[in-house]
Amino acid sequence: MDNADRGTRRGLDQLLARVLQRGTWLGSCVIASGLVLTLAGGSVVSSRIQGARIINVGIAMLIALPVLRVLLMAIVFFRGRDFRLSVIATLVLAIIALGCIVG
Amino acid sequence: MHGGFVVWLFLVSFGASALGGTIGMASGIFIVPVLTLFSGLDIHTAVPAGIVSVIACSCGGAAPFLRSGTTNIRVAIVLEVATTLGALTGVRLTGHLPVPILYLLFAAVLMVSAWQMMLKRRAAPEEIAATPPRDWASRLRLHSSYPERGGDVFYRVRRVPLGLALMYGAGLLSALLGIGSGVLKVPAMDTALRLPIKVSSATSNFMIGVTAAASGAAYFASGSIDPMIAGPVALGSVLGAMLGARLLMSLSAEALRPLFVLALVGMAVHMLLHAVGNLR
Repeated sequence: MDNADRGTRRGLDQLLARVLQRGTWLGSCVIASGLVLTLAGGSVVSSRIQGARIINVGIAMLIALPVLRVLLMAIVFFRGRDFRLSVIATLVLAIIALGCIVG
Repeated sequence: MHGGFVVWLFLVSFGASALGGTIGMASGIFIVPVLTLFSGLDIHTAVPAGIVSVIACSCGGAAPFLRSGTTNIRVAIVLEVATTLGALTGVRLTGHLPVPILYLLFAAVLMVSAWQMMLKRRAAPEEIAATPPRDWASRLRLHSSYPERGGDVFYRVRRVPLGLALMYGAGLLSALLGIGSGVLKVPAMDTALRLPIKVSSATSNFMIGVTAAASGAAYFASGSIDPMIAGPVALGSVLGAMLGARLLMSLSAEALRPLFVLALVGMAVHMLLHAVGNLR
Protein backbone atom coordinates (compact mmCIF):
# COMPACT_ATOMS: atom_id res chain seq x y z
CA MET A 1 0.00 0.00 0.00
CA ASP A 2 1.73 3.19 -1.18
CA ASN A 3 1.09 6.68 0.15
CA ALA A 4 -1.18 7.86 -2.70
CA ASP A 5 -3.33 4.77 -2.18
CA ARG A 6 -3.65 5.54 1.52
CA GLY A 7 -4.57 9.14 0.70
CA THR A 8 -7.55 8.08 -1.44
CA ARG A 9 -8.64 5.61 1.21
CA ARG A 10 -8.71 8.28 3.89
CA GLY A 11 -10.55 10.71 1.58
CA LEU A 12 -13.30 8.16 0.89
CA ASP A 13 -13.59 7.36 4.61
CA GLN A 14 -14.17 11.05 5.40
CA LEU A 15 -16.70 11.45 2.58
CA LEU A 16 -18.72 8.42 3.73
CA ALA A 17 -18.62 9.60 7.37
CA ARG A 18 -20.09 12.99 6.37
CA VAL A 19 -22.79 11.53 4.11
CA LEU A 20 -23.92 8.92 6.64
CA GLN A 21 -24.00 11.31 9.58
CA ARG A 22 -25.88 14.10 7.80
CA GLY A 23 -28.24 11.66 6.09
CA THR A 24 -29.21 10.04 9.40
CA TRP A 25 -29.96 13.46 10.90
CA LEU A 26 -31.99 14.53 7.88
CA GLY A 27 -34.04 11.31 7.76
CA SER A 28 -34.63 11.42 11.54
CA CYS A 29 -35.77 15.06 11.38
CA VAL A 30 -38.25 14.25 8.58
CA ILE A 31 -39.66 11.33 10.62
CA ALA A 32 -39.84 13.53 13.74
CA SER A 33 -41.76 16.29 11.91
CA GLY A 34 -44.20 13.72 10.51
CA LEU A 35 -44.73 12.31 14.01
CA VAL A 36 -45.30 15.76 15.48
CA LEU A 37 -47.86 16.55 12.77
CA THR A 38 -49.66 13.26 13.43
CA LEU A 39 -49.72 13.67 17.20
CA ALA A 40 -50.62 17.39 17.11
CA GLY A 41 -53.40 16.72 14.60
CA GLY A 42 -55.27 14.63 17.17
CA SER A 43 -58.26 13.02 15.50
CA VAL A 44 -58.17 15.17 12.34
CA VAL A 45 -57.93 12.51 9.64
CA SER A 46 -56.28 14.63 6.93
CA SER A 47 -53.34 15.69 9.15
CA ARG A 48 -52.80 12.09 10.25
CA ILE A 49 -52.65 10.89 6.64
CA GLN A 50 -50.30 13.75 5.79
CA GLY A 51 -48.16 12.89 8.83
CA ALA A 52 -47.94 9.21 7.85
CA ARG A 53 -46.85 10.25 4.35
CA ILE A 54 -44.05 12.43 5.71
CA ILE A 55 -42.89 9.61 8.02
CA ASN A 56 -42.82 7.29 5.00
CA VAL A 57 -40.57 9.74 3.15
CA GLY A 58 -38.22 9.80 6.17
CA ILE A 59 -38.12 5.97 6.30
CA ALA A 60 -37.40 5.83 2.56
CA MET A 61 -34.53 8.29 3.10
CA LEU A 62 -33.03 6.12 5.84
CA ILE A 63 -33.28 2.99 3.66
CA ALA A 64 -31.74 4.85 0.69
CA LEU A 65 -28.79 6.12 2.74
CA PRO A 66 -26.69 2.89 2.78
CA VAL A 67 -27.54 2.40 -0.92
CA LEU A 68 -26.20 5.90 -1.64
CA ARG A 69 -23.06 4.98 0.30
CA VAL A 70 -22.50 1.89 -1.93
CA LEU A 71 -23.07 4.04 -5.03
CA LEU A 72 -20.48 6.57 -3.83
CA MET A 73 -18.01 3.73 -3.22
CA ALA A 74 -18.60 2.37 -6.75
CA ILE A 75 -17.93 5.82 -8.25
CA VAL A 76 -14.85 6.62 -6.14
CA PHE A 77 -13.30 3.18 -6.75
CA PHE A 78 -13.95 3.54 -10.49
CA ARG A 79 -12.32 6.97 -10.63
CA GLY A 80 -9.39 5.61 -8.65
CA ARG A 81 -9.01 2.88 -11.34
CA ASP A 82 -9.78 0.28 -8.69
CA PHE A 83 -12.01 -1.63 -11.12
CA ARG A 84 -12.37 -4.88 -9.17
CA LEU A 85 -13.79 -3.10 -6.13
CA SER A 86 -15.94 -0.88 -8.35
CA VAL A 87 -17.48 -3.97 -10.01
CA ILE A 88 -18.08 -5.53 -6.58
CA ALA A 89 -19.87 -2.35 -5.35
CA THR A 90 -21.99 -2.31 -8.52
CA LEU A 91 -22.86 -5.96 -7.92
CA VAL A 92 -24.10 -5.07 -4.39
CA LEU A 93 -26.28 -2.32 -5.92
CA ALA A 94 -27.69 -4.81 -8.44
CA ILE A 95 -28.55 -7.28 -5.66
CA ILE A 96 -30.41 -4.57 -3.71
CA ALA A 97 -32.29 -3.53 -6.88
CA LEU A 98 -33.19 -7.17 -7.51
CA GLY A 99 -34.69 -7.33 -4.01
CA CYS A 100 -36.95 -4.35 -4.76
CA ILE A 101 -38.21 -5.99 -7.94
CA VAL A 102 -38.82 -9.56 -6.76
CA GLY A 103 -39.31 -8.86 -3.03
CA MET B 1 -53.73 4.31 15.59
CA HIS B 2 -53.70 5.71 19.10
CA GLY B 3 -51.29 8.62 19.71
CA GLY B 4 -50.26 7.17 23.07
CA PHE B 5 -49.17 3.96 21.39
CA VAL B 6 -46.86 5.91 19.08
CA VAL B 7 -45.21 7.58 22.08
CA TRP B 8 -44.97 4.19 23.81
CA LEU B 9 -43.23 2.66 20.76
CA PHE B 10 -40.78 5.57 20.77
CA LEU B 11 -39.97 5.14 24.47
CA VAL B 12 -39.62 1.34 24.29
CA SER B 13 -37.24 1.60 21.30
CA PHE B 14 -35.28 4.35 23.00
CA GLY B 15 -34.78 2.17 26.08
CA ALA B 16 -33.91 -0.98 24.10
CA SER B 17 -31.40 0.83 21.91
CA ALA B 18 -29.76 2.68 24.82
CA LEU B 19 -29.41 -0.65 26.64
CA GLY B 20 -27.96 -2.42 23.60
CA GLY B 21 -25.72 0.53 22.72
CA THR B 22 -24.18 0.59 26.18
CA ILE B 23 -22.49 -2.76 25.58
CA GLY B 24 -21.21 -1.65 22.17
CA MET B 25 -22.33 -3.44 19.07
CA ALA B 26 -25.54 -5.12 20.26
CA SER B 27 -27.88 -2.22 19.56
CA GLY B 28 -30.25 -4.04 17.23
CA ILE B 29 -30.80 -7.27 19.10
CA PHE B 30 -33.16 -5.93 21.77
CA ILE B 31 -35.56 -4.01 19.48
CA VAL B 32 -37.69 -6.84 18.08
CA PRO B 33 -37.99 -8.86 21.36
CA VAL B 34 -38.89 -5.69 23.26
CA LEU B 35 -41.52 -4.76 20.65
CA THR B 36 -43.17 -8.17 20.87
CA LEU B 37 -42.85 -8.26 24.66
CA PHE B 38 -43.95 -4.72 25.65
CA SER B 39 -45.97 -3.53 22.66
CA GLY B 40 -47.87 -6.68 21.72
CA LEU B 41 -46.77 -6.47 18.09
CA ASP B 42 -46.59 -9.75 16.21
CA ILE B 43 -43.21 -10.74 14.82
CA HIS B 44 -44.13 -10.04 11.18
CA THR B 45 -44.87 -6.38 12.05
CA ALA B 46 -41.92 -6.01 14.43
CA VAL B 47 -39.24 -7.34 12.03
CA PRO B 48 -39.54 -4.65 9.30
CA ALA B 49 -39.57 -1.95 12.02
CA GLY B 50 -36.45 -3.57 13.52
CA ILE B 51 -34.78 -3.48 10.09
CA VAL B 52 -35.37 0.27 9.72
CA SER B 53 -33.98 0.92 13.20
CA VAL B 54 -30.92 -1.24 12.46
CA ILE B 55 -30.22 0.86 9.33
CA ALA B 56 -30.59 4.12 11.25
CA CYS B 57 -28.31 2.98 14.09
CA SER B 58 -25.65 1.68 11.70
CA CYS B 59 -25.56 4.91 9.65
CA GLY B 60 -25.80 7.14 12.72
CA GLY B 61 -22.93 5.41 14.49
CA ALA B 62 -20.53 4.88 11.57
CA ALA B 63 -18.87 8.31 11.39
CA PRO B 64 -16.39 8.19 14.32
CA PHE B 65 -15.01 4.78 13.23
CA LEU B 66 -14.65 5.97 9.62
CA ARG B 67 -12.93 9.21 10.65
CA SER B 68 -10.39 7.37 12.81
CA GLY B 69 -9.65 4.96 9.94
CA THR B 70 -10.71 1.87 11.93
CA THR B 71 -13.41 0.68 9.49
CA ASN B 72 -12.09 -1.45 6.61
CA ILE B 73 -14.49 -0.38 3.86
CA ARG B 74 -12.86 -2.64 1.26
CA VAL B 75 -13.49 -5.75 3.36
CA ALA B 76 -17.02 -4.41 4.00
CA ILE B 77 -18.00 -4.03 0.34
CA VAL B 78 -16.66 -7.49 -0.56
CA LEU B 79 -18.58 -9.17 2.28
CA GLU B 80 -21.72 -7.15 1.51
CA VAL B 81 -22.15 -9.18 -1.70
CA ALA B 82 -22.83 -12.18 0.55
CA THR B 83 -24.87 -10.37 3.24
CA THR B 84 -27.23 -8.71 0.72
CA LEU B 85 -27.77 -12.04 -1.08
CA GLY B 86 -28.52 -13.61 2.30
CA ALA B 87 -30.91 -10.75 3.10
CA LEU B 88 -32.87 -11.32 -0.12
CA THR B 89 -33.10 -15.03 0.66
CA GLY B 90 -34.41 -14.10 4.11
CA VAL B 91 -37.08 -11.78 2.71
CA ARG B 92 -38.24 -14.53 0.32
CA LEU B 93 -38.30 -17.09 3.15
CA THR B 94 -40.09 -15.01 5.76
CA GLY B 95 -43.61 -15.56 4.39
CA HIS B 96 -43.08 -19.32 4.16
CA LEU B 97 -41.63 -20.05 7.58
CA PRO B 98 -44.18 -20.83 10.32
CA VAL B 99 -44.27 -18.15 13.04
CA PRO B 100 -43.20 -20.56 15.87
CA ILE B 101 -40.03 -21.35 13.87
CA LEU B 102 -39.20 -17.61 13.71
CA TYR B 103 -39.60 -17.29 17.49
CA LEU B 104 -37.49 -20.43 18.05
CA LEU B 105 -34.77 -19.10 15.75
CA PHE B 106 -34.80 -15.79 17.62
CA ALA B 107 -34.54 -17.60 20.97
CA ALA B 108 -31.53 -19.54 19.65
CA VAL B 109 -29.84 -16.36 18.40
CA LEU B 110 -30.37 -14.69 21.79
CA MET B 111 -28.94 -17.71 23.65
CA VAL B 112 -25.85 -17.82 21.42
CA SER B 113 -25.41 -14.05 21.92
CA ALA B 114 -25.61 -14.49 25.70
CA TRP B 115 -23.02 -17.26 25.48
CA GLN B 116 -20.71 -15.12 23.32
CA MET B 117 -21.07 -12.23 25.74
CA MET B 118 -20.07 -14.46 28.65
CA LEU B 119 -17.01 -15.73 26.81
CA LYS B 120 -15.94 -12.21 25.80
CA ARG B 121 -13.99 -11.78 22.61
CA ARG B 122 -10.38 -12.76 22.53
CA ALA B 123 -7.88 -11.78 19.90
CA ALA B 124 -7.28 -14.65 17.50
CA PRO B 125 -3.84 -16.20 17.93
CA GLU B 126 -1.48 -15.09 15.19
CA GLU B 127 -0.74 -17.80 12.64
CA ILE B 128 2.94 -18.40 12.02
CA ALA B 129 2.58 -19.92 8.53
CA ALA B 130 2.85 -17.34 5.78
CA THR B 131 -0.30 -16.86 3.71
CA PRO B 132 0.14 -17.51 -0.01
CA PRO B 133 0.43 -14.07 -1.63
CA ARG B 134 -2.12 -14.84 -4.36
CA ASP B 135 -5.17 -15.32 -2.14
CA TRP B 136 -8.43 -13.35 -2.54
CA ALA B 137 -7.57 -10.81 0.12
CA SER B 138 -4.30 -9.86 -1.61
CA ARG B 139 -5.84 -9.66 -5.08
CA LEU B 140 -8.54 -7.30 -3.78
CA ARG B 141 -6.00 -5.41 -1.62
CA LEU B 142 -7.98 -5.89 1.58
CA HIS B 143 -5.00 -5.79 3.97
CA SER B 144 -4.89 -2.55 5.90
CA SER B 145 -3.97 -0.89 9.18
CA TYR B 146 -5.77 0.76 12.07
CA PRO B 147 -4.71 3.46 14.54
CA GLU B 148 -3.58 2.36 18.01
CA ARG B 149 -1.95 4.38 20.76
CA GLY B 150 1.55 3.29 19.75
CA GLY B 151 0.97 4.07 16.03
CA ASP B 152 -0.66 2.28 13.10
CA VAL B 153 -1.03 -1.50 13.40
CA PHE B 154 -0.95 -3.43 10.12
CA TYR B 155 -2.94 -6.62 9.65
CA ARG B 156 -3.54 -9.22 6.94
CA VAL B 157 -7.00 -10.50 6.03
CA ARG B 158 -7.37 -14.30 5.82
CA ARG B 159 -9.84 -16.83 4.39
CA VAL B 160 -12.24 -14.56 2.52
CA PRO B 161 -14.35 -17.44 1.03
CA LEU B 162 -15.13 -18.80 4.52
CA GLY B 163 -16.00 -15.27 5.65
CA LEU B 164 -18.36 -14.88 2.67
CA ALA B 165 -20.17 -18.12 3.53
CA LEU B 166 -20.72 -17.04 7.15
CA MET B 167 -21.83 -13.58 6.00
CA TYR B 168 -24.50 -15.11 3.76
CA GLY B 169 -25.95 -16.69 6.90
CA ALA B 170 -25.68 -13.40 8.78
CA GLY B 171 -27.63 -11.57 6.06
CA LEU B 172 -30.30 -14.27 6.08
CA LEU B 173 -30.77 -14.05 9.86
CA SER B 174 -30.79 -10.25 9.73
CA ALA B 175 -33.67 -10.14 7.23
CA LEU B 176 -35.67 -12.90 8.94
CA LEU B 177 -35.37 -11.50 12.47
CA GLY B 178 -34.91 -7.74 11.99
CA ILE B 179 -31.53 -7.69 13.73
CA GLY B 180 -27.96 -6.73 12.86
CA SER B 181 -26.96 -10.38 13.52
CA GLY B 182 -23.62 -9.76 15.16
CA VAL B 183 -23.96 -13.39 16.31
CA LEU B 184 -22.63 -14.62 12.97
CA LYS B 185 -20.67 -11.51 11.99
CA VAL B 186 -18.42 -11.66 15.03
CA PRO B 187 -17.20 -15.25 14.44
CA ALA B 188 -16.94 -14.58 10.70
CA MET B 189 -14.71 -11.56 11.18
CA ASP B 190 -12.74 -12.61 14.25
CA THR B 191 -12.24 -16.27 13.38
CA ALA B 192 -12.46 -16.59 9.58
CA LEU B 193 -10.94 -13.29 8.42
CA ARG B 194 -8.85 -12.84 11.59
CA LEU B 195 -9.46 -9.11 11.76
CA PRO B 196 -8.34 -7.27 14.90
CA ILE B 197 -11.29 -6.85 17.29
CA LYS B 198 -11.53 -3.05 16.87
CA VAL B 199 -11.57 -3.37 13.09
CA SER B 200 -14.15 -6.15 13.07
CA SER B 201 -16.50 -4.21 15.40
CA ALA B 202 -16.31 -1.05 13.28
CA THR B 203 -16.56 -2.91 9.96
CA SER B 204 -19.46 -5.09 11.12
CA ASN B 205 -21.40 -2.00 12.28
CA PHE B 206 -20.68 -0.34 8.92
CA MET B 207 -21.93 -3.36 6.94
CA ILE B 208 -25.12 -3.85 8.91
CA GLY B 209 -26.67 -0.75 7.26
CA VAL B 210 -26.31 -2.11 3.73
CA THR B 211 -27.43 -5.61 4.72
CA ALA B 212 -30.55 -4.20 6.36
CA ALA B 213 -31.11 -1.76 3.47
CA ALA B 214 -31.32 -4.73 1.08
CA SER B 215 -34.12 -6.33 3.10
CA GLY B 216 -35.57 -2.92 4.09
CA ALA B 217 -35.93 -1.86 0.44
CA ALA B 218 -37.63 -5.17 -0.37
CA TYR B 219 -39.98 -4.83 2.64
CA PHE B 220 -40.65 -1.19 1.71
CA ALA B 221 -41.40 -2.08 -1.93
CA SER B 222 -43.87 -4.77 -0.86
CA GLY B 223 -45.61 -2.39 1.58
CA SER B 224 -44.68 -4.37 4.72
CA ILE B 225 -43.42 -1.30 6.61
CA ASP B 226 -46.06 0.50 8.69
CA PRO B 227 -44.91 4.15 9.03
CA MET B 228 -46.76 4.64 12.32
CA ILE B 229 -44.75 1.75 13.81
CA ALA B 230 -41.38 1.97 12.02
CA GLY B 231 -41.27 5.80 12.36
CA PRO B 232 -41.30 6.07 16.16
CA VAL B 233 -39.17 2.91 16.46
CA ALA B 234 -36.45 4.30 14.16
CA LEU B 235 -36.41 7.71 15.84
CA GLY B 236 -36.36 6.21 19.33
CA SER B 237 -33.55 3.83 18.50
CA VAL B 238 -31.33 6.49 16.87
CA LEU B 239 -31.60 8.69 19.95
CA GLY B 240 -31.23 5.67 22.25
CA ALA B 241 -28.06 4.56 20.44
CA MET B 242 -26.57 8.03 20.93
CA LEU B 243 -27.26 7.88 24.67
CA GLY B 244 -25.94 4.30 24.75
CA ALA B 245 -22.67 5.37 23.10
CA ARG B 246 -22.26 8.13 25.73
CA LEU B 247 -22.95 5.69 28.56
CA LEU B 248 -20.50 3.21 27.03
CA MET B 249 -17.74 5.75 27.54
CA SER B 250 -18.65 6.70 31.11
CA LEU B 251 -19.81 3.37 32.55
CA SER B 252 -17.73 0.26 32.89
CA ALA B 253 -19.04 -2.11 30.24
CA GLU B 254 -17.37 -5.01 32.06
CA ALA B 255 -19.45 -4.41 35.19
CA LEU B 256 -22.65 -4.43 33.12
CA ARG B 257 -21.85 -7.69 31.33
CA PRO B 258 -23.77 -10.01 33.71
CA LEU B 259 -26.82 -7.73 33.38
CA PHE B 260 -26.80 -8.09 29.59
CA VAL B 261 -26.36 -11.84 29.75
CA LEU B 262 -29.40 -11.92 32.05
CA ALA B 263 -31.42 -9.64 29.72
CA LEU B 264 -30.56 -11.81 26.70
CA VAL B 265 -31.49 -15.04 28.48
CA GLY B 266 -34.75 -13.44 29.70
CA MET B 267 -35.63 -12.39 26.15
CA ALA B 268 -34.77 -15.88 24.88
CA VAL B 269 -37.17 -17.45 27.40
CA HIS B 270 -39.86 -14.95 26.34
CA MET B 271 -39.36 -15.87 22.67
CA LEU B 272 -39.47 -19.60 23.53
CA LEU B 273 -42.79 -19.12 25.36
CA HIS B 274 -44.09 -17.26 22.30
CA ALA B 275 -43.03 -20.16 20.09
CA VAL B 276 -44.84 -22.68 22.34
CA GLY B 277 -47.88 -20.39 22.63
CA ASN B 278 -48.13 -20.11 18.87
CA LEU B 279 -48.02 -23.88 18.45
CA ARG B 280 -51.34 -24.31 20.24
